[in-house]
Amino acid sequence: MARTSLTLSSPSGRALRGVSNTVLVLIGICFALPLAWLLLASFDPAATLTLKWPSALTLDNFASVLTPELAWLPLWNSVQLSGGCAIITVVVAVLAAYPLSRYRLRINRPYLYGILFGTCLPITAMMVPVYSLFVSLNLIDSITGTILFMAAASLPMAIWMMKNFMDSVPVVLEEAAWVDGASMMATLTRVVIPLMRPGIAVVFIFVFVQAWGNFFVPFVLLLSPEKQPAAVSIFAFFGQYGAVAYGKLAAFSLVYSIPVLALYVFTSRVLGGGSALAGAVKG
Amino acid sequence: MSSTHVVAAGGRGGATAPRPPARRNRLGRSVGRSVPLIPSMVLIAVFLLGPVISSFYGSFTDMSLTGSAAQGTKFVGLENYVQLFQNPDFLQSVWLTVLFLVGSAIIGQNVLGLGLAMLMRNGNTVVRGIVGTLVVTAWILPEIVAAFAAYAFFHDDGTFNELLALVGIHGPNWLYALPMVAVILANVWRGTAFSMLVYSAALFDVPEDVTESAEIDGAGGAKRLVYITLPMIRRSISTNLMLTTLQTLSVFTLIYVMTAGGPGTKSSTLPILAYQEAFKFSQLGLGTAIATILLVIGAVFSVVYIRALRPEVD
Amino acid sequence: MKRILSALAVGVVAAAALSGCSAGAGGDKVIKVAYQKFGNFTQMDSQMKSVAKQYEAAHKGYTVKLIPIQASENDYYTKLSLMNKSAATAPDVLYEDTFLIKSDASAGYLAPFDSYVKDWGDWSKFPDNAKQAGQGEDGKLYGISMGTDTRALWYNKELLTKAGVPVPWHPKTWADVLDAAKKVKAAEPGVTPINVYSGKGAGEASTMQGFEMLLYGTKDTLYDESSKKWVAGSKGFEDSLEFIKEVYQGGLGPSVQDALDPNFGNTVSGQLLPQSKLAIDLDGSWLPQNWIKGGAAAWSGWNSAMGETPMPTQNGAAPDATSMSGGWTLAVGSKSKAKDAAWDFVKLALNKENSLAYDVNATQIAVRTDVASDPKYVDANPTNKFFSDLVKVTHFRPATSVYPKVSNNIQVAMESVMTGQQSPKEAAKTYDDALPNAVGGANHVTTK
Repeated sequence: MARTSLTLSSPSGRALRGVSNTVLVLIGICFALPLAWLLLASFDPAATLTLKWPSALTLDNFASVLTPELAWLPLWNSVQLSGGCAIITVVVAVLAAYPLSRYRLRINRPYLYGILFGTCLPITAMMVPVYSLFVSLNLIDSITGTILFMAAASLPMAIWMMKNFMDSVPVVLEEAAWVDGASMMATLTRVVIPLMRPGIAVVFIFVFVQAWGNFFVPFVLLLSPEKQPAAVSIFAFFGQYGAVAYGKLAAFSLVYSIPVLALYVFTSRVLGGGSALAGAVKG
Repeated sequence: MSSTHVVAAGGRGGATAPRPPARRNRLGRSVGRSVPLIPSMVLIAVFLLGPVISSFYGSFTDMSLTGSAAQGTKFVGLENYVQLFQNPDFLQSVWLTVLFLVGSAIIGQNVLGLGLAMLMRNGNTVVRGIVGTLVVTAWILPEIVAAFAAYAFFHDDGTFNELLALVGIHGPNWLYALPMVAVILANVWRGTAFSMLVYSAALFDVPEDVTESAEIDGAGGAKRLVYITLPMIRRSISTNLMLTTLQTLSVFTLIYVMTAGGPGTKSSTLPILAYQEAFKFSQLGLGTAIATILLVIGAVFSVVYIRALRPEVD
Repeated sequence: MKRILSALAVGVVAAAALSGCSAGAGGDKVIKVAYQKFGNFTQMDSQMKSVAKQYEAAHKGYTVKLIPIQASENDYYTKLSLMNKSAATAPDVLYEDTFLIKSDASAGYLAPFDSYVKDWGDWSKFPDNAKQAGQGEDGKLYGISMGTDTRALWYNKELLTKAGVPVPWHPKTWADVLDAAKKVKAAEPGVTPINVYSGKGAGEASTMQGFEMLLYGTKDTLYDESSKKWVAGSKGFEDSLEFIKEVYQGGLGPSVQDALDPNFGNTVSGQLLPQSKLAIDLDGSWLPQNWIKGGAAAWSGWNSAMGETPMPTQNGAAPDATSMSGGWTLAVGSKSKAKDAAWDFVKLALNKENSLAYDVNATQIAVRTDVASDPKYVDANPTNKFFSDLVKVTHFRPATSVYPKVSNNIQVAMESVMTGQQSPKEAAKTYDDALPNAVGGANHVTTK
């Protein structure tokens, strides 16, 4: 942060810094309150809608939702679905981003605008033709088929982000590889990909998180209950209790959120992914 | 911050530099260069294109999930669209959708996101880390969990009114009296992280000496922002506006869990209305017509951003 | 380029098809049974498992493939419709809401039972109105009732006694009901005198537990069965809205904002009744499900605290009381390749022993007369006899495919009356004006 140090050394800079910190703390509190409620309610034997310190701390809420049928099996299915979807998406998006970023092809502009639209397709409204398609391809109740569909649906955003990342990787190194006679694939795998690891991590997380929260697609495309992901069990759970068994709902919410939060923390620590996200969309 | 350094160093200009000395003819070369696009094209063509076209066609039929129309679906021309535009509930939904979009995405997330990014530049490292983590957590949470937390926060007996009571204000029942305000604030809470991250990176590329020299020339904070900083991050603003717009237009779960579109139809945006028509009243044709209109609204906003701010996609 | 594309497409699809499993072979020897399984509602699952075992033992060579669908109601309907649309996934036997039989029959999803029940001795044990509940718009039979529910007035004995209303309470007319509520209001300021579900928040509960419990106690109905037309401009409609107005605008009901909360139903059964904050509740026979041990809001003292009485007709006209019923049936899919075997499954699942087991375990109101009088059923739950007796006076909704829209319009009318935006007369007029559009044209409407 060397760039900012100059301004901050002046007296007005110090005042600015004080104001900035105060405002930041206030905004941070606003963002924290709903989260704090979720956390406290999950340990509260008599949770209400108000943020309060529990009269007693209990793990009962967690015990009642952490059953194999409600949590463990669905969570494992979620890992498979979201992981598979994120891996396929990342691989396909890296491949697609390369020509989009490196060559001036006639197809680039229409393709990019086309997929930009794809980012806001209302998937829910499309599920009926998707179901018929899956029946005719004999993919209903297939985890692989569901993964492929979710990957297709997340590709537009992923390609868009990946292309922006690749644009910011300097071409100088590639040129050296070209001179050595390396093929396009060799250049991509040996030079470009190692340079954009943080970007790839970001796209992975982004796709993973979206797939993790996706209820409708797996619900419609998978028939067997033992294949359903956690999104389906949490929706059914909410549907049944409405929003009255607050403690249990909060506990289930946390259990359901922890894997994605952990993945986020892991990637941002290990790969610097969090801050890298920005590069993907800044255009 | 490694990648943002890369961003700064790489620039975009390099993207169009000439590639290896190709000796084949031009057409063959560009076909060869398009090969890596094929897997994405196949996946999108197989799984999205067909259903999109079929849905679009469905919006001109009386397609239905159940009832006699499910057996013999008829082509009805523009009837679904005509019916929609004659329906005051639909027009209200269009208005609420635009209100939600402008309030929560264009103003809320973008302004707050930019504000946070600027404050972070001047903030203390610890404060910056903690606040950033909180903001990002709200964004990374699964939507239904975020919606549940927001429902509890804005409920009549919830944390928000409890806080207001501490300072002597008797808060209204937000979800009942001001449902749009509640869902807009909730969506700002949930979505600001995205804009904050984008603008943080964009500001990182604004050279400090540019703003400094402006300061020496006597330009005040606001002036500096409008005349120097914003024009420099224009492209990021445009892209970010476009992405937040397209994402906000399809927000469903957040609103459905908090208010279910109510009371009455006072927070029934287009995705809620489409869900009601398609799955509650099982009129899929009408539901897809609404979805099509949603896409058109997205397109209109995107064209405006592109025209006004020229983000250059290629 | 095109060739590469199509080759790749085939490759992707083939790979996916190979690795994925198909949704059952659809062969003659497999019976696919689809039903709902949802949160605490696992009774259907265990019932189907037990019937499947019996079936496989009795029919050598057949296997039963159970397809439990984990979802709340609306999503269950959506999934079931999608499965029914395609021959490859259409189930042979399905758990079908009486609410959807008419729509799904006209969509061509269900196979008629008429020729089968002729030879089924047990069919005489089903009362006539339960038989009608399984009929399609064409008059054919598409579903056999597994169990039902009825609705009546629940009241808090202690609160009514304190307010000077003699217990056990037997209101004879609507006015009696409102009088009791007024006495509670005068005697106990902190208590909500009466709850009648109303408005869009509570959804179908408003239409069925609220509005229709009133309307079907007048001389009018929503739908004229003989002419097959929807009724506009009836006096009963306006009178029912008038009742809603008295409850909400007269300060007898819950606050409007509470009543419009989509979760209000859970608040009533989970908090207001157990905490003695609500004196009278027009609600369903299933409430004890929440209160029994292991229920969502266990309350051991519920049976001594709460009383039940039938909802009277408007002016006490015969048959003195009214009720509304929903409930679920078993149906056979029209695309089934093994309809005879599927029917055998339905017969087995709904014989006396299995019906009894299901009605007791899932706290259903028995439909079969031999089950309803069986001591094992009567003793299983102290309110079973009371609610089963209401089957005699109960009504089923005119659940054609346009019903959900009509129901929505009723909720809109209720809401504008309860919030005071419209008078009952104006709201009824708005409903009448919107009716042709909701039911597919003015030729489906008759005006009284």
